[in-house]
Amino acid sequence: MIHDEDILELSEPSLSPSEKLFLPQILGGMVTTIVHMGKSMVGQHRTVQYPEQKRELRLENYRGVHRLNRDEQGRVACVACFMCATACPANCIHIEAGESPWEDREKYPVKFDLDELRCIFCGMCEEACPVDAIELTPHYDLVGRSREEMILDKEELLSVYDETRELKPRKNPHITGYEGTGGRFHANGDKND
Amino acid sequence: MAKIIIDSQEVECRDGVTALQAAIEAGWDIPHYCYHPGLSVVASCRLCLMEMKMPHPQTKEMGWAPKLLPSCQTPVRDGMEIRFHTDKVKKNQEDCMEFFLLNHPLDCPVCDQAGECYLQDYSYKFGKAESRMVDQKIKNPKKDIGPHTLLYQDRCVLCTRCVRFAQEVSGTHELCIVNRGSRAEIDVFPGIPLDNPLQGNVVDICPVGCLLDKDFLFQRRVWELKRGESICPGCARGCAISIDHADEKVYRLKPRYNPEVNDWWMCDEGRFGFAYVHDNKRITSPLVRRGKEPSTPNWQDLPAVVRYRFEQFVGEQGGEKVVAVLSPFMANEEAWLLARFIRDVAPQASLAIGPVPFEGEDQNFPAGASGDDIKFTILKEKAPNRRGIESLLESLGGSVLTFEQFVEKTNAGDVKAAWVVGGYPKPWIDKDTAKIANKFDLLVTQDIFEYKFTDAADIVLQACAWTEREGSFTNADGLTQPFHWAIAPPDGVRRDGQYLFEMAGETGLYRAAQVREMMTDSVPTLSQLHEAQARPVHAH
Repeated sequence: MIHDEDILELSEPSLSPSEKLFLPQILGGMVTTIVHMGKSMVGQHRTVQYPEQKRELRLENYRGVHRLNRDEQGRVACVACFMCATACPANCIHIEAGESPWEDREKYPVKFDLDELRCIFCGMCEEACPVDAIELTPHYDLVGRSREEMILDKEELLSVYDETRELKPRKNPHITGYEGTGGRFHANGDKND
Repeated sequence: MAKIIIDSQEVECRDGVTALQAAIEAGWDIPHYCYHPGLSVVASCRLCLMEMKMPHPQTKEMGWAPKLLPSCQTPVRDGMEIRFHTDKVKKNQEDCMEFFLLNHPLDCPVCDQAGECYLQDYSYKFGKAESRMVDQKIKNPKKDIGPHTLLYQDRCVLCTRCVRFAQEVSGTHELCIVNRGSRAEIDVFPGIPLDNPLQGNVVDICPVGCLLDKDFLFQRRVWELKRGESICPGCARGCAISIDHADEKVYRLKPRYNPEVNDWWMCDEGRFGFAYVHDNKRITSPLVRRGKEPSTPNWQDLPAVVRYRFEQFVGEQGGEKVVAVLSPFMANEEAWLLARFIRDVAPQASLAIGPVPFEGEDQNFPAGASGDDIKFTILKEKAPNRRGIESLLESLGGSVLTFEQFVEKTNAGDVKAAWVVGGYPKPWIDKDTAKIANKFDLLVTQDIFEYKFTDAADIVLQACAWTEREGSFTNADGLTQPFHWAIAPPDGVRRDGQYLFEMAGETGLYRAAQVREMMTDSVPTLSQLHEAQARPVHAH
């Protein structure tokens, strides 16, 4: 149900006489092209010769292949809450939850399959994760010989973490048990005992 | 009808209800945990407190009472004036929510209740965003309190709904509160687990994630489930249920409110009795045997094949030797379509009702109750639609047999062609009955699983479980209740209603409502539908 007050009517902005001529815009485009031509003539290339050369990435927020983080004890940090699968607009995450074999944890993913071919690398899963277990890494050269190979399972996603932990360390503190969460003092980083 | 004023708005409400119930029915969202219309009132959660106009003790002048009053414990009276949208009430709700969440572990990501949890909903709507708790939270690990149920004490709000349920509805008194103050917790007595035929209801009435079902634990997040309205086929009671399903799989059954039949409850037998729906031994394709060669016909040809075989038989041996055995697991509409088909090919054909399974005795709850005190009954008659099939046979007239007569006549050689419908979740043919399987010249079976009859049948049709069908069941009290399909049948399987519809000479899609209209003239008793009224939006 859409209410009348939610409806926004938009119209195209009207063009000024010079814009209607299009000439200034064309010239402006030409200037950009010529500037780039000049730069490449004096050796300032913008083109990267991939794969010999690789672009420098912003490691912090580049959205490449996913990884599943490990906690301090090397166990999968995921608690199988399905938030990523719920947030995923491409429906590429398939989790099967089970009772965890560990004392301090309630639930863990028995299976965690991520279809990299369906994924649109939007990073919603990373946003949604309450324990920062799923993250996107700067790895982008993902190749496979079949569609099945491109569905990464839990072990493969964990191995991506092992490969990229040096490059992009896990940023947030690990939460495994839930003791003390929600306390005001805890939120400031103080211990409350 | 009493007229009361809630937040300066005049509201008509039923007589004798509480102010909380009246407000909820009028559309107000009043937070409440301990109040449940099916249980006694304890007014312990203090979330539903309201302001009420009362006469001043000395001047007798009407004015707002200085203290808040529990709306769940105050019956409505004509002209009563109450209000919820005031700062005082809101402050109380906020403070109560903070108090409930003092020791709450905030483990929503791993809690199965998340998504249908009233701690989440109420803290979002009525609570505060942060906690002022500075002390270490009390941790209380989960307890295994029974074969089907887990108790996570640190999520509990001590509303005592479960305790009252065990006392007042099931009457088995397994649950109690032990300890006091912040250490108070729900527990079972040593050595006596929560194990009664109604125990699954404590999971439903628990407003938070404290009591959880082991059967459903970690299976799915609840927001992924879709809800289909249905009727439980476990016994002749016909409890209104909803089928919670996702990806064509049934995950759990929940009771639906129906004051005429089951109130808010359902039994464990029905609740956990759906496993056969996903049994991989189900028949998944039709089969036609000509001589000894079995073949799998396609669905388009099947109606013609079946009709041809019956017409051929009637031409050779006459219509008196044809019987259709209708199962008490069939919906009224399906049974009517089959009866119509059989009477069409052989007008003299007999109709019979299949065996009705009985188990043990009727169980009344609270345990040992009688008369008006009975709050729930599990019937010994373990089939949903005996009444419906019986009244159908009665209305249609002609030759009607009991199942025993059918077996006798077959043994005597008076029945040579039969369409036998099963659809029972458990094996239903005993050894003696199975012997007659080879005495037919033409046997059509319609069943979920392969039993003795299907091996000897000339035509094997698969039946669908009730979760995949559409129609209506008539329960022990004579109420005809509609049910709808929730999931699609397994690959290659066609719904019973659909192929019966086609065999009865109709074209297009089988829709129960349409068939009900068609059968009004011949079977007027089954066209009166009973549908449960929906509960108010904010009731839980």
